[in-house]
Amino acid sequence: MPKVMGAVKQAIPAEIGGEAVAVVGSSGAPAKAAAGRKILPIVEGVVLVAALLAPLVLQDYLTVFATRVIILALFALSFDLVWGYAGIMSFGQALFFGSAGYGVALLARDLDITNIFLVLPAGTLIGLTFALLLGGFLLLGRHPSSVIFVSLGTLTGSYAADRLARGWYYLGGQNGIPSIAPMSLGSYEFTEGPAFYYLVLGILVVVYLFCRFLVRSQFGLALAGLRENEQRIAFFGYKAQHLKAIIFTVGGAIAGLAGSLYAFHEGFVWPNMVGVVVSTQVVLYVLFGGSGTLIGAVIGAVIVEGVSFWLSDNYRDVWPIILGLLLLLVILFRPLGLISFVLGERERVGSFGARPKEKRNAP
Amino acid sequence: MANAFVAAFEILSFGAIIVLIVLGLGIIASMMGIFNFAQGEFVLLGAYITYLAYAKGLPIWAGMVAAPFVVGGLGFVLEALIIRRFYAAPIVAMLGTYALGLIIRESVRGLIGGFYLTVPEPIGGSIDIGAMHISAWRFTIIVITLLVMGFCYLLLSRTSFGLRMRATLENPSLARASGISTPLMYGATFAFGSALAGLAGALIVPVFSLYADLGLRFLIQGFVAVMVGGVGSFIGPVAGAGVIGTLSAALPWIMAPVVADVLVFVLAIAFIKFRPQGLIAGKGV
Repeated sequence: MPKVMGAVKQAIPAEIGGEAVAVVGSSGAPAKAAAGRKILPIVEGVVLVAALLAPLVLQDYLTVFATRVIILALFALSFDLVWGYAGIMSFGQALFFGSAGYGVALLARDLDITNIFLVLPAGTLIGLTFALLLGGFLLLGRHPSSVIFVSLGTLTGSYAADRLARGWYYLGGQNGIPSIAPMSLGSYEFTEGPAFYYLVLGILVVVYLFCRFLVRSQFGLALAGLRENEQRIAFFGYKAQHLKAIIFTVGGAIAGLAGSLYAFHEGFVWPNMVGVVVSTQVVLYVLFGGSGTLIGAVIGAVIVEGVSFWLSDNYRDVWPIILGLLLLLVILFRPLGLISFVLGERERVGSFGARPKEKRNAP
Repeated sequence: MANAFVAAFEILSFGAIIVLIVLGLGIIASMMGIFNFAQGEFVLLGAYITYLAYAKGLPIWAGMVAAPFVVGGLGFVLEALIIRRFYAAPIVAMLGTYALGLIIRESVRGLIGGFYLTVPEPIGGSIDIGAMHISAWRFTIIVITLLVMGFCYLLLSRTSFGLRMRATLENPSLARASGISTPLMYGATFAFGSALAGLAGALIVPVFSLYADLGLRFLIQGFVAVMVGGVGSFIGPVAGAGVIGTLSAALPWIMAPVVADVLVFVLAIAFIKFRPQGLIAGKGV
């Protein structure tokens, strides 16, 4: 990680410098300055087109699988926002994912509420509330909490929720809540298949664009500063703990949305969904794909889930071991994840805020 | 009366088991600043080695003696190859050791399958005190835990090895300047912590039987215990382990087990929030 810090510190001035060149040479060669940093939109475009075309070429059962992957990618996005951008190690992201899943499952079971416009906001709200409570408790306070405390605190929260779900009869105990009624819109029911797929993909795109806007804003710049050097950001007069709590809550809300979609897609919820297993799984996705780039989280989820789906038929026993080895290699040699093979450091950091270029060019 | 005695013994013996598991975790966290997510898997390995000795027809105690040495050796090798790269970044260390733990756990799962394998107690039977019977093996665990605690304390506080270890912890550059090989000390500390985990696994396997998630079960309890006790000293994590172990064993006697389970964690996290330095603050033994 120190390597990353150094690079970012250099990259921000370089970024400003690059912008200045483009402004000065607006009649000359701005195209060249821009040409070097266009890979990220290309990667995003390719992923989007691939995702749009997927149901057309995949068989039915693979479309169902792809839907699950897209939901998990949404979940990965929430973790990436918290860890990749704000540097908060949330080892308990599944707490928000799973509690929202349980929440909507209870709505469907006990109150017969399955309307999409009710359950998805409800799930988001549940994730948001839990994240606000836990994040507020762990992050806010007179003394700033250490990173270790926050990561172990979230991990413990997730573990405790898992134990609670396993032991609480109302939540179905070990078996969870089976056969949840499908999500509905009027008389239409979303069952597994292309319609559900495109619904989830649409939600992912909207949330992705929202996150992209968020991390490229001034707020995002402050977050990146938080990740690199929290003390310096505090000295600049930002309320570092408040920023952290806000992004943690946003992350929890997105995880809640993903969790409620997951519950309706799978048709059941079970204790693992709030527990340590799913919490660490999302960490795997983001580390593989590349933390600190939104698209990296999506790619990571697709690759990890895709490969494990593919290998689990023949190499069920060996696959988790391979996963562990690969993870170790990525952490040791590619701390920025697979995306760093195609994406330069400078583009990963990106530019922040509104661009002054257009304003200055105006007569 | 007899009931209360049995309850007290149960609580004491579970507390001893948690202390035994946390000892290694605490030494690595306090002395090196690393929260070792693979510690649970070192416990699992210790248990597996004991099972192997039993399955091969060797006496069980032979496996129990071998476990700490084998796991300690493995810890030394892993420290030199991998853990060493993580010292600067505690979060990356967590992820790296998690990956290591995943590899070990899944390998053991592959070796034993999804079964619960039992290993008999090397000292069977029960100790009778009047009308009360307590398990002889659990009693042995308590005794061994006390011995190991005393041994660790003496090692850290009374020997030159312990002095060098503490010097390395407190001020690595000064320790280096004084001619202490800090990489070797880190390696030795990690190996020692791993060996304690191996011993813990070997001793508890007759009580809990062998399954792949054996270590994982105690890992989070161990972390919480270390944080409650306070990172930085030897005695802090031990005290934390005593508190957490006693609470987790005692609370189910007075309330629903589910509530007790969760309550321990909630209380612990709240305690750490308001007293981040833990029960026993400060560095030293």
